[in-house]
Amino acid sequence: MKPSTVEIKKMPSRFKHQVPKYKVTRSDACINCGTCAKTCPYDVHERVEGHNKAKSPIDYKCIGFECQDEVFYCVAKCPRNALSLSLNPMYATLGDFRWTADMITGTWIMAETGYPPQRTDLEYNVGNSGGGFDKLRFKFPAHPPQVDKSEISTAIPLNRRNDGRANVVISTPVYGGGMSFGSVSLPTMVSKARNATIWNTFTCTGEGGYPEILQAYDDHVITQIATGLFGVREETVQRVKIIEFKYAQGAKPGLGGHLLGEKNTESVARMREAVRGYPLFSPFPFHSVYSIEDHKKHIDWVKEMNPNALVSVKVSTPNDVDMVAVGSYYAGAHIIHIDGGYGGTGAAPDIAKKNIAMPIEYAITKVHNFLKDEGARDAMTLIASGGIRTAHDLAKAICLGADGAVIGTAELVSLECVRCGNCESGRGCARGIASTDSELADLFDEDWATQRLVNMYHAWNVQLVEIIQRFGMRSVKELVGRTDLLEHIDYSHETESAHNG
Amino acid sequence: MPKKYHIHPKATPLDLEYVCKFKIVRGENCINCGKCTKVCIYEAHKRRKDDPRKMADPNTVVCRNCFRCIQECPRGALEKSLDNDFTNIGGAFWKPDMLISLWKQAEDGKVPVSGAGYRGPFTGTGFDSMWTDMSEIVRPTRDGIHGREYISTSVDLGRRLNHLTFDTNGQLASKVPDTVDLSIPILFDTPVDNLISNVKVALVKAAAEINTCIIMPAVDITSDVEEYSNNIIPCLAPTEIDTYKAVLKKARLVSIEYSDTVLNDFPGLKEKIKKLSDALTIIRIPAMKDVEGIVAKLTHSGAEIIHIVADYRGQELNGSAGSDRRLLKDIIRAVHLRLVEDRIRDEITIIASGGIAMAEHVPKAMLCGADLTAIDIPLMIALGARVYEEPEKLLILPEGLAKIPLPIITQRMVNLMAAWHSQILEMMGAMGIREARRLRGETGRAIFFEEIDKETFGRLFKRREAVSV
Ligand code: SF4
Ligand code: SF4
Ligand code: SF4
Ligand code: SF4
Repeated sequence: MKPSTVEIKKMPSRFKHQVPKYKVTRSDACINCGTCAKTCPYDVHERVEGHNKAKSPIDYKCIGFECQDEVFYCVAKCPRNALSLSLNPMYATLGDFRWTADMITGTWIMAETGYPPQRTDLEYNVGNSGGGFDKLRFKFPAHPPQVDKSEISTAIPLNRRNDGRANVVISTPVYGGGMSFGSVSLPTMVSKARNATIWNTFTCTGEGGYPEILQAYDDHVITQIATGLFGVREETVQRVKIIEFKYAQGAKPGLGGHLLGEKNTESVARMREAVRGYPLFSPFPFHSVYSIEDHKKHIDWVKEMNPNALVSVKVSTPNDVDMVAVGSYYAGAHIIHIDGGYGGTGAAPDIAKKNIAMPIEYAITKVHNFLKDEGARDAMTLIASGGIRTAHDLAKAICLGADGAVIGTAELVSLECVRCGNCESGRGCARGIASTDSELADLFDEDWATQRLVNMYHAWNVQLVEIIQRFGMRSVKELVGRTDLLEHIDYSHETESAHNG
Repeated sequence: MPKKYHIHPKATPLDLEYVCKFKIVRGENCINCGKCTKVCIYEAHKRRKDDPRKMADPNTVVCRNCFRCIQECPRGALEKSLDNDFTNIGGAFWKPDMLISLWKQAEDGKVPVSGAGYRGPFTGTGFDSMWTDMSEIVRPTRDGIHGREYISTSVDLGRRLNHLTFDTNGQLASKVPDTVDLSIPILFDTPVDNLISNVKVALVKAAAEINTCIIMPAVDITSDVEEYSNNIIPCLAPTEIDTYKAVLKKARLVSIEYSDTVLNDFPGLKEKIKKLSDALTIIRIPAMKDVEGIVAKLTHSGAEIIHIVADYRGQELNGSAGSDRRLLKDIIRAVHLRLVEDRIRDEITIIASGGIAMAEHVPKAMLCGADLTAIDIPLMIALGARVYEEPEKLLILPEGLAKIPLPIITQRMVNLMAAWHSQILEMMGAMGIREARRLRGETGRAIFFEEIDKETFGRLFKRREAVSV
């Protein structure tokens, strides 16, 4: 499937109101003349005939301070000076340093329209974390070679070993992260698989088994073997194209998984072959792996079961992540998937999320260089995750040395996650994304969710193609490891300073 | 294997006015349709008891920021913002979110867990500029957190020999000095002057319950806490030794305020204490400039334990300009390195305190080179205290604290330590370290921002200053 043939359809929010960035205030001086309702093309003001008071402005539709230069600017037009415009204090309650309110809003717009926002008042490409991707910028050449967008390819191969196993190629260098049945709702899981199929890429079951309903999407589902071995079945291993060993998760490296008893419902328990209502622990680590040799045995075992499948190894980012990556190469893996410390999770101790293991930005560079030094880089596919929030993060990760990325939070935000962090408490996600509570899991349907994901992937692809074009390249593969195309706000590149000295 | 150490938490809510993060206001255009009642799964929106036709004020204490009521109210009548109290408490170091988390930990004694990824800045100052390592394939612990493999947090205080000597018969010739063993690498330090009686007793009882000690001004050691003398470290000036003979006699450890006499004649001081008591001596030094030099000198002259005290935000004291004041992380590293260079690191026990505010600071301080830490303000926060940094340091204790029963305030402190202990286990388990003693100076298991950023990005994107020189 070529990205250009993916069908984009407008898929608006399922809620009546959006979270407003601006606040339009109407004072008592208003005489309900209706001027504002007539002038504002965005329907912020509504005048109801017969009412003696105008309705409250619908803040979220307002385009904000940009409007000041427009002829229709309501604040200037109001004959009584009753209107004023300000930043909405509500906006400060949305988002955080990593996922800013602008970034969340931008992703919502992408999921709704399929394109990056037209608005210029949103900084949706970089966050406010003050480090890593947020300090890296592209150094676009002033006069790149002309390349037509239609000539640009975003496809990448996942099997670079030339070992006779399946030559899996994905059309866009991103796929969906593992979210287990039990931690997210079925519509979330199914829509991820449908999106992966439409985009000719992948999604991952996470730990917790392979729901039957996903069988229709077998060619685009990675099945995971994690430390708890929950739901691992020979028949699934034999059916799929990629099998992933999950050693650790970036957000809680070294801590294993934990599904609360309340979330272990009848259906979850059946899938995991466990007893309903009991909390389920995935231990840490694999109790059968204490060396790279043990690790190889694992890989040999699945390769034996499925002679055509690719093997991915998912690890987090300790100091020796480069050794682990090279070890995985020698053990016969096709994909090394490194998951940085700032990645998403259904539930993890705050102390682990903040402190344990390094951010993905460093790990990509480390692993890429070490694989290169060992002469193994060309035979491995390096996938980065844990903190890839935007298309710009994706392109930066590739410039640092990754082949592609896995995303999780960005998918959930497309389904209108607000990052409130309550996924695992009580009944689970109040917005129906990460919940198996029967009432909450029904808050949206698969068609809506699939289209939102398809749209977001499309918007990312549009941005990625644009970046490749601005570098005068024809394939995303040319970007890999091109750190010379980046600059860091705190450091600067030699050539630039050479002018001064 | 040592007996398994466990701290027993017990849910202990306090009926205090905590600060909440959010404020929700229902506008006048509300039509009392009740939609918000249906959509809020945390029950923040309810109808009025006296008049069910109308909505009551939102109960924002329970709000979890899911935005559903905001987005689904047909009239857009609800407004949410950050609460003023929330934005005002704390400061650059004692962040408001940190205070809320500590209150919660003191209430339930559990490790704070949440969904979605990390939300904070990429890096920060002091301890925020380091990460800890983990092991996944090579040398991991075997599930220490869920208790299948025991992780010990015990540390001991006292002088250790650089090496052992044996006589010609192979018998140990060295006299091994006494040490005091604690189950957790956290001492309590008296948080405020003029402690009210029940808080003082609670501090002592909590310290005893978790098998640690509290450093307390000798003058405060009165009959109400006498029975816990094993867990009390009297703190006094060298000139006061004779005044507190009785207290000293019972103590296992004594904390002596640093002064020039201590620096110039530690052996003399030790001799004087020895005549009265078997207590090991802690020298309490403010974290001033060149504290590493002083520590080295004291160690050479036989000091046993040194307690380095930074200010309440973990900054060096008597620094002139605010900007070049070192932070606790760097102070500890400097002290540790100096002692390693002098080849005397193993002879001395280093306690670090000042700005130990979260569980993560404990293992981090140890990785930097401390043997253990001491805490003060968090123990008051456990009781619902609020910290303010601006315009100046202010610690506000909740009203009516004197009336809260002793078992409750004790349990709150124990809860906080239970939560910290579990979190320390999480970090140690991930690092593959099963002995807290092994954390000391183990920088190979830490990732320092300055180093890794320079190694990766510095190498790729050369430093501007360096090039333009
Ligand atoms: S400022 Fe512009 S967009 Fe906003 S309400 Fe007024 S006219 Fe409409
Ligand atoms: S909306 Fe909140 S609870 Fe739901 S998935 Fe997002 S962070 Fe988790
Ligand atoms: S949903 Fe809105 S209008 Fe309805 S009761 Fe709640 S605040 Fe009032
Ligand atoms: S934002 Fe969510 S949790 Fe908070 S009051 Fe509204 S519905 Fe309830």
